[in-house]
Amino acid sequence: MEGPHAPRAVPGFELVAPASVEEAIAALRAADDGGATAIAGGTDLLLDLDDGRLAPRRVVSLRRLPWRTLDWLDGALTVGATLPLRSLEDDREVRRRLPGLWQAVHAVGSVALRHRATLGGNLGRSAPASDLIPMLLALDAEVDLVGPRGERRVPVDDFVRASRRTALLPGELIRSVRVPEPRPSAYLWQRVRPANDISQIAVAVAFSPGRRHWSIAVAGMPPRPALLPDVARDLGDGAPSDAALTAAAARASRAVPITGDQRASEEYRRRLVGTLLTRAVRAVPFEGGRPL
Amino acid sequence: MSAASRSDLGVKLAGRAEYGVDAELPGMLWAALVPSPVAHGRLRRVDLGPARALPGVVAVGADDLATLLPRGAGDAERPIFPAGEVAYRHQPLAAVAAPTLAEARRAAAVVRVEVEPGPALIDLETAFPDWPGPDGARSPHVIAHVHARHGDVEGAFRTAEHVVEETYRTSSVHQVALEPHACVATVRGDRWTVRTTTQSPFGVREDLSLLLGVPESSVVVEGTWVGGGFGGKGASLLEPYALLLARAAGRPVRLALDYREEFELGRTTLPAVIRVATAVRDRRIVGRRVRLLLDVGASLPGRDFATGYSIGFLLGPYVTPTFEVEGYGIRTNKPPFGPHRAPFAPQCAFVAESHIEEVARVVGVDPVRFRAEHLWREGATTPLGQPVGPFGLAAALERADALARRWRSEAPAGHGVGVGLGFWSTSTGAGGEARLVLSATELRVEQGERGIGSGSVLRGLVAVAERALGLPADRIRIEYLSTAEAPFDSGVYGSRTVGALGRAIVEASDAVRADLAGRMAVAVADVSLAVEGEEIVVHAPGVRRTVRSLLRPDEASRGIVATGRHFAKPNAIDERRVVTGSFYPYTDFTGAAHVAEVSVDRETGAVRVERYAAFQDVGVAVDPATARAQVEGGIAMGLGIALTEEALWSADGRLLNPHLLDYRIPTLGEVPVPEVTFVEGFLGAGPFGAKGLGEPPIIPVPAAVAAAVRDASGAHVTELPLSAERVARTLKLL
Amino acid sequence: MTETVAHLTVDGAPADLAGMPDDERLLDTLRWRLGRKGTKEGCRTGDCGACTVLVDGRSTLACLTLTREVDGSDVTTIDGAARDAELSRVTRAFAEAGALQCGYCTPGFVVALAGLLKERGRAAPLEELLDGLQGNLCRCTGYAAIVRGVALAREEAP
Repeated sequence: MEGPHAPRAVPGFELVAPASVEEAIAALRAADDGGATAIAGGTDLLLDLDDGRLAPRRVVSLRRLPWRTLDWLDGALTVGATLPLRSLEDDREVRRRLPGLWQAVHAVGSVALRHRATLGGNLGRSAPASDLIPMLLALDAEVDLVGPRGERRVPVDDFVRASRRTALLPGELIRSVRVPEPRPSAYLWQRVRPANDISQIAVAVAFSPGRRHWSIAVAGMPPRPALLPDVARDLGDGAPSDAALTAAAARASRAVPITGDQRASEEYRRRLVGTLLTRAVRAVPFEGGRPL
Repeated sequence: MSAASRSDLGVKLAGRAEYGVDAELPGMLWAALVPSPVAHGRLRRVDLGPARALPGVVAVGADDLATLLPRGAGDAERPIFPAGEVAYRHQPLAAVAAPTLAEARRAAAVVRVEVEPGPALIDLETAFPDWPGPDGARSPHVIAHVHARHGDVEGAFRTAEHVVEETYRTSSVHQVALEPHACVATVRGDRWTVRTTTQSPFGVREDLSLLLGVPESSVVVEGTWVGGGFGGKGASLLEPYALLLARAAGRPVRLALDYREEFELGRTTLPAVIRVATAVRDRRIVGRRVRLLLDVGASLPGRDFATGYSIGFLLGPYVTPTFEVEGYGIRTNKPPFGPHRAPFAPQCAFVAESHIEEVARVVGVDPVRFRAEHLWREGATTPLGQPVGPFGLAAALERADALARRWRSEAPAGHGVGVGLGFWSTSTGAGGEARLVLSATELRVEQGERGIGSGSVLRGLVAVAERALGLPADRIRIEYLSTAEAPFDSGVYGSRTVGALGRAIVEASDAVRADLAGRMAVAVADVSLAVEGEEIVVHAPGVRRTVRSLLRPDEASRGIVATGRHFAKPNAIDERRVVTGSFYPYTDFTGAAHVAEVSVDRETGAVRVERYAAFQDVGVAVDPATARAQVEGGIAMGLGIALTEEALWSADGRLLNPHLLDYRIPTLGEVPVPEVTFVEGFLGAGPFGAKGLGEPPIIPVPAAVAAAVRDASGAHVTELPLSAERVARTLKLL
Repeated sequence: MTETVAHLTVDGAPADLAGMPDDERLLDTLRWRLGRKGTKEGCRTGDCGACTVLVDGRSTLACLTLTREVDGSDVTTIDGAARDAELSRVTRAFAEAGALQCGYCTPGFVVALAGLLKERGRAAPLEELLDGLQGNLCRCTGYAAIVRGVALAREEAP
């Protein structure tokens, strides 16, 4: 039966909610190739289902899996794939030890959206305009996957392939995301409208106190958010000098493969990259050459 | 009287107000429209066969009109479905209904449409890369041409000390009423009934009568609560399709747009290019030239209202001894131009004000002083020769300037303060009637329209009746009736509700008093009303009677009925100044001076509005809380036009941002709580001297913001909106 | 593994969801299956907040939620405002401030603010409450009266 009001012209789907990881993997595998998709919060997926851009016969819900978790262990943060972003945002340790991650989470949609949206869903959907992926890149985060052939851990940089494309294999699920260490960090973006918009350019920066190196990632240009290792090297191994920062910003503005679209022209994006990079690095607190 | 007295607060806060989208009738079908797949082309065939083959589906197209309509045809000039030329993308070519919305959408998707695509005209400036020449008006793209002039313009420019010439571009903006268009239609016998979300039930009735070719007496429009109008719900849009489907199906049919369709089908403000030139001698304006290219979308010839109407706003409220204005309405392959709160006037004020600021700077005079020296005052005439009545704009400017100076002295580095002016004239519409019914215990105002949320009906009209009859608001109730029972009124638009319908309420109130005085055999001037316990009591010297005791037996169940009227009021344009075309006759001048303080990011061009203030000529604030709310709302909407709102089309006529993510109306984070000051005492033609207030507050906003951006950064931006990228470009950061 | 019947409590009453398709959105369930039309459909893309409801006390966009995904939850809408302390409080504050005009965005605003008060407490800083309402669009009020309403909802005695 169909409700009187389902608005789509596309056929409906079957929703299953397995109670175990094994069943979930089996449910994904049992459908034909491409015929099944997983749903976590669904805030992004449902838009594609409504528009018919995706038309799976089966949607596998992860809501009964015990993945709404947040754990700190030996300085590393592990976030379960189905933890609502709002819970991540509300964690005081996240805000204190990974300020850039907190800023990036806070930049996603509205409170009501963050009550359902998840880190796993954001990665799995690999949206080109994701606010979280650039920050995860700058934090050297890794994705823990579980699938028919067991478990594996993949750096976010390898996991995100392109817009809407990831390294997930058939039947594979994101179980959690691991951030290896607390890092002084910052996430800055510019949007046409400050609230509830997609960033024209976003810059994520983080400094690893242990390895004394910077990581820089930029989002807002296709095909996906990208790390800029050469730019990070320009910044040296601590609080950068003004000259180093200027050099890094100039390199970023030149180096990034940027295109123009209706949100911003290519040349404007190039300008924003340098400006936001400079500001983001300055927003990371240092004192006497050491991060605070 | 606080805003809390609005009688709709309870029902709306409880979620019990029925809007158009909520309307539901037993057994109703759900409908969908079949959109044109191209922006321009020749329609070869619309094959409804595949849709009709689906179970439970009813479909109607151009070929069905002959059998569905009683006279076999509607308005020949405005066919409900096109038979030949397709004029814009998503133009409805057919409509379908089915037991569920999903089935209706599927049925719409299988309709076979064959169109031979033609070249689409989307961008104004591709049609006229140079300005339309002497033969411009003969171009097939020009559907409206207006031209007016006065005095020796050529001489003024020839002998000027300074000539400032500029080109401006403005963007397309959408009303974004949060409730999409929606209606439920029923046809029984020759009675065509539609329950719909509308600003003008009687306007929709007239429209439907023409479009369907049925007498007005056969059409009944029932207005629901309206989830925002802003001009977008003034005329019929979905009602003809829903009625045709209901006729074909023999069942009620619900048709509602989803939000994407709301953007794609909406009739709203479209882009324009404006060239302005000003000649100055001895620090006085001696001549003005304005030329306008306005995109009027797929408007039909003879039905463009915007081109001639806009010209006066482009000249601004300034004395100009000689002038020449010329405007072209350009037909493009977009939905027709339609009204959006003070249609196109905020954009015109942006041009007029930014330009006069530039002129003042070139001449070397303080921009505010330059404006004050040229401003119309009571007794002046407009360029088109209309006399200016009581007008509070000069007083508003004086106060705005004082505040701007204070703010500027307090402003931190990177901030700037600007002043913008805007003027307006209250519309009377096609006139109308008010009907009051005084019972033993309450006064009812019987009405066809519910208003659009602004409070102009619910508070404005109640406040007028309160003041006219001396009854408290809690004894005055607005009763909503369908067009079959309500007195005619032309609708809630044009800032006319309190000004025009309010006058009819005063007249009806006077009739009530006269009636009561007659029944009590006392002089009208001696009659006063009061509430004592449950009863409404009429006092006159030495006499006290309850209304109950004055009712005749036949009035016992209803009450004393009185009516009042108001009329469309012409205000003669000096026709000697008109070369061709029709111009807007201003009647009741109102306006505002607004002050914006902004910060401009000198590296990115990003603008943030830090503080905002409005000095608003209102004549008299009939209900101050409601008036304040109108000003606050208008400012926020104006900030959207100024900074973030811009509908974008592809070269083949596809709307590129038909959703609320990329069409960006302001959120709570971008709008400061403004300071609102009423400039009173310059009385208008409304009740007690009130002037219309629905539209005026939006008009000066882009101008004020642009002036503030210029003050903060030096950027003289000549395009709307003032996006960060445009500001950055103007600052030569790119 | 497909559940045939989902169980939902809506505004205190168990909802009859027999025969509901798997792909139904919570917004459609509320409005058309259960006839609770106080919750409004705006954009249906998560950008306007008009459809905000509380799911187990947390503000949620009903347009971007599959009803079956909140199986077993307690859903509170504007239609249940009278039986919820925070919703009643916000409703009173909005009435006092005249924080609405057309009223279409109002249910979403009231529910979203009630949700914030539940999450953050009545003593939450005003700025944090306002920040949390940026996902709710209003076209009529210019937000000024809403800001006054939010301030009242904080300060008003319990």
